[in-house]
Amino acid sequence: MAEESILTDDFLRELMNVGEVDILVGMPTYNDAATVGQVVQAVRAGLIKYFPRQRAVIINADGGSKDATPELVRAASISDLRQPSGLTALRTLHSISTQYPHGGENGQALRLLLAAADLLRAGACVVVSADSVNIEAEWLDRLLRPITNGSADLVTPLYHRHRFDGLLVRNLLYPMIRAMYGKRVREPYPSEFAFSGRLGSYLLGQDIWSEDGGNSGAEICITISALAGNFQVAESFLGSRGRIEHGPADLVHAMRQTVGVSFWLLDPTFPAWSATTGSQPVPSSGGGPQVTLEPLRINRKRLHQMFQVGVAELEPVLKSILAPPTLAELQKEAAAPQETFRYPDDLWVRTVYEFAASYHKSVISRDHIIQALAPLYRGRAYTFLVENIDATGEQTENKVEDLCLTFERLKPYLLEMWDGRK
Amino acid sequence: MKLLRSKPRHPPFVGFADFYFLGSLNLVMPQTAPWYQDAIIYQVHARTFYDSNGDGVGDFRGLAQKLDYLQDLGITAIWLMPFFPSPLRDDGYDIADYRSVHRNYGTLEDFKSFLDAAHQRGIRVIIEMVLNHTSDQHPWFQESRSSRDNPKRDWYVWSETDTRYRGVRIIFLDTELSNWAWDPVSKEYYWHRFFSHQPDLNYDNPAVREEMWNVMKFWLDMGVDGFRLDAVPYLVEREGTSCENLPETHAVLKELRAKLDQQFPGKMLLAEANQWPADLRPYFGNGDEFHMAFHFPLMPRMFMGLKLEDRKPITEILQQTPAIPDGCQWCLFLRNHDELTLEMVTDMERDYMYDEYARDKNMRLNLGIRRRLAPLLDNDRRRIELMNGMLMSLPGTPIIYYGDEIGMGDNVNLGDRNGVRTPMQWDGGWNGGFSAADPESLYSPLMLNPVYGFQAVNVHSQKRFEHSLLSWMKRIIKVRKSAPVFGSGSIEFLYPANHRVLAYIRQLGNETVLIVNNLSSAAQAVELDLKRYKGNILIEMFGRNIFPRIGDLPYLLTLGSYQFYWFRLRRI
Repeated sequence: MAEESILTDDFLRELMNVGEVDILVGMPTYNDAATVGQVVQAVRAGLIKYFPRQRAVIINADGGSKDATPELVRAASISDLRQPSGLTALRTLHSISTQYPHGGENGQALRLLLAAADLLRAGACVVVSADSVNIEAEWLDRLLRPITNGSADLVTPLYHRHRFDGLLVRNLLYPMIRAMYGKRVREPYPSEFAFSGRLGSYLLGQDIWSEDGGNSGAEICITISALAGNFQVAESFLGSRGRIEHGPADLVHAMRQTVGVSFWLLDPTFPAWSATTGSQPVPSSGGGPQVTLEPLRINRKRLHQMFQVGVAELEPVLKSILAPPTLAELQKEAAAPQETFRYPDDLWVRTVYEFAASYHKSVISRDHIIQALAPLYRGRAYTFLVENIDATGEQTENKVEDLCLTFERLKPYLLEMWDGRK
Repeated sequence: MKLLRSKPRHPPFVGFADFYFLGSLNLVMPQTAPWYQDAIIYQVHARTFYDSNGDGVGDFRGLAQKLDYLQDLGITAIWLMPFFPSPLRDDGYDIADYRSVHRNYGTLEDFKSFLDAAHQRGIRVIIEMVLNHTSDQHPWFQESRSSRDNPKRDWYVWSETDTRYRGVRIIFLDTELSNWAWDPVSKEYYWHRFFSHQPDLNYDNPAVREEMWNVMKFWLDMGVDGFRLDAVPYLVEREGTSCENLPETHAVLKELRAKLDQQFPGKMLLAEANQWPADLRPYFGNGDEFHMAFHFPLMPRMFMGLKLEDRKPITEILQQTPAIPDGCQWCLFLRNHDELTLEMVTDMERDYMYDEYARDKNMRLNLGIRRRLAPLLDNDRRRIELMNGMLMSLPGTPIIYYGDEIGMGDNVNLGDRNGVRTPMQWDGGWNGGFSAADPESLYSPLMLNPVYGFQAVNVHSQKRFEHSLLSWMKRIIKVRKSAPVFGSGSIEFLYPANHRVLAYIRQLGNETVLIVNNLSSAAQAVELDLKRYKGNILIEMFGRNIFPRIGDLPYLLTLGSYQFYWFRLRRI
């Protein structure tokens, strides 16, 4: 059995002591001591307040922290030997910690949590990020309730987001996944999400965990697998989400984890997405996504420059990926001065689809394909910033909706390329 | 091997027939404990047990005829519920004459005969004594209300207004709106903590205190072995207080105890005080107040722990239970004649208990659940055994409520708490063997349904089979009595990481017993830290089989659904 290889004997012994549970809270960590304390407190408060009768466990999958993160998680336990002051709990709450084998790769942590959930026969599982500094006890209720009342198998979050936060999600992941699988999931790459035991067992049995996708982009794997597997997906509004900044993001790495995994999953899920047209909203609770408008300093000039340089330097690579008309149009836009440069929806969608088809056909190294998409995405991000610089929240949302519709409208184009008709 | 015989402690009450078995283990026996610490108490109402004269109501002659059954069961003491003359508006807790027997149950001579017969069998008798209040039909109250200057006026608590002692909680919430009731005869209010037909006696009056001691002395002279004193926290009232657990109340009780010790050494007082452990502790005083007290908060938590499959509620309440003086003892019970009281739990816990054990609103009464043991546990034999196993092995003297030893059911359609007070089911014949009367004239309808009715659940049928609940109860009582450690030994919880397993060590002298309970419906594995006992072997106390010796590693045990083990630790 696959899970036997990832669960240590000590961890198994701890699971044995936990026994069957109704709710499993999973918390992947890596050197999160600065924030994990308040997160586990919120989790514990949420369990006691909203699920006092359910058997619950907090499981920390740690990537080898050197800052005592696991000890902080374990301290959340409630037992007959440890009853935190001010809290009255009906039940014992185990909070246990284990290390996952490949430090840094979240997929291994999630796989470990799935295996634990399967062994403990957890009816509902929620994964929370250890750096969610805004987490509140209510999040547990909002994420888990649709699972425990049987109305959903996967619950993804909705947040207050700044209009320029999550550009990759708004310009590529959300619209493309929506167009592919026909469900409007605003946060397909969630930091917090909940899933049913049924979906967890299904995911654990999927042949995705030995691949790079399952290792590095497990969250998006879970969303797409649920959509393609026809599981019920719902959204819950959580409010603002604050995070600790860990330094400048590595765009290529982020794209491997998200876009790369989305492209990779197009192969195994082809029967599902190829038969889907249009899209439907998923049930949501607590309100829709909300956009905040505070001023934000972004170096647009540098974005544009990186786009231009990328198009020029990667021309040989782009020639092997993009159709000639698309490449020509792209180069024409790249030649425009910054003031007038725009990466229009139609061209962006065709670019993405041609990259996806090339990834499918492995026209060159798949990793090179993802790397080549990074500078083009910068051009698209620049366009989004410029077009929405003075927009209201509603106008920004309308722009995103227009892009989504373009992805849906041009989906036949992807299908033609996919089966070689183009 | 030399047999060490323990000296009988309270002639003629030899008890501990199985104690001699222990002697072969060459144990150094600790100093003998007072009788009530090692007792197995059987709670019964004369009315409910056996009707000797065919009038539809159980009586003392009937009870005496069934003493052989109780002796065979193995119990060592009977706690009799009120049998005094009474209008019976509160099942006899409304006493109208403290020095007689209600005519329904026989005569004072019948009671004496029963008492002697019980003593001849080594069974002690504890009777109920309601100190706090009388019936409003008691001559004392009739005199008291007759005029404001009657000499007995001050025997009760009277007031011109109903605003004194404002804020004191009302106990019978379902029936009473106030602790004061208007007396139209003397045109004043009288104080009552329970039903309005039960006026509280005034313990500030020395004459009341003296008379109540005389009442107790009356029964002690006759030979009763102890009293269960009803509703003791409420004896004295003081403005601005909760009128519960007051120092003045403790002073009254200490006065009674001092007289008891002086004039009737070896007799016992048992407190009925439904309070938190910390509030209960003062009722033991410095060993100079009560000998025993009911541990009310533990009982609902045993049911809660079982349903939650989590030992936390049980260990938590026992952690909060203070140590009690030498010679004192807790009384433990699973069910009794009242509702399963939920006063000593939090709101969250009460809601949980209602939802899990009393979904039908008919099952709820006041702040409790009016059900018997077997129906509460879905008639699941494994859970019934586990709960009795804990009852018999946790620190305290266990009380078995009549009929629970055969798994009798309840009838929630009968009013008040009468659903758990139906006739004892002796056999599958006429009236379940309880009475020769016409069924219509029984004091209460018999249980008739196919699951719990007398034809399905009765003593006669269960006596025939070695594996019946009755036979099992006899066995566990026998095993319990074989080890004095259960009565007066210390307890130490083990806290294994598996929270579904409740494990503890009982120790007395050099006798050590390990108890391991699986609260879960599923099989469990548990690792016990028994390093301190390294080298001991475990002997399972029911089958006397040997289990592996304790070594350096945690001791691994597996337990089936709701299974429990009692092990005697032996170093050989």
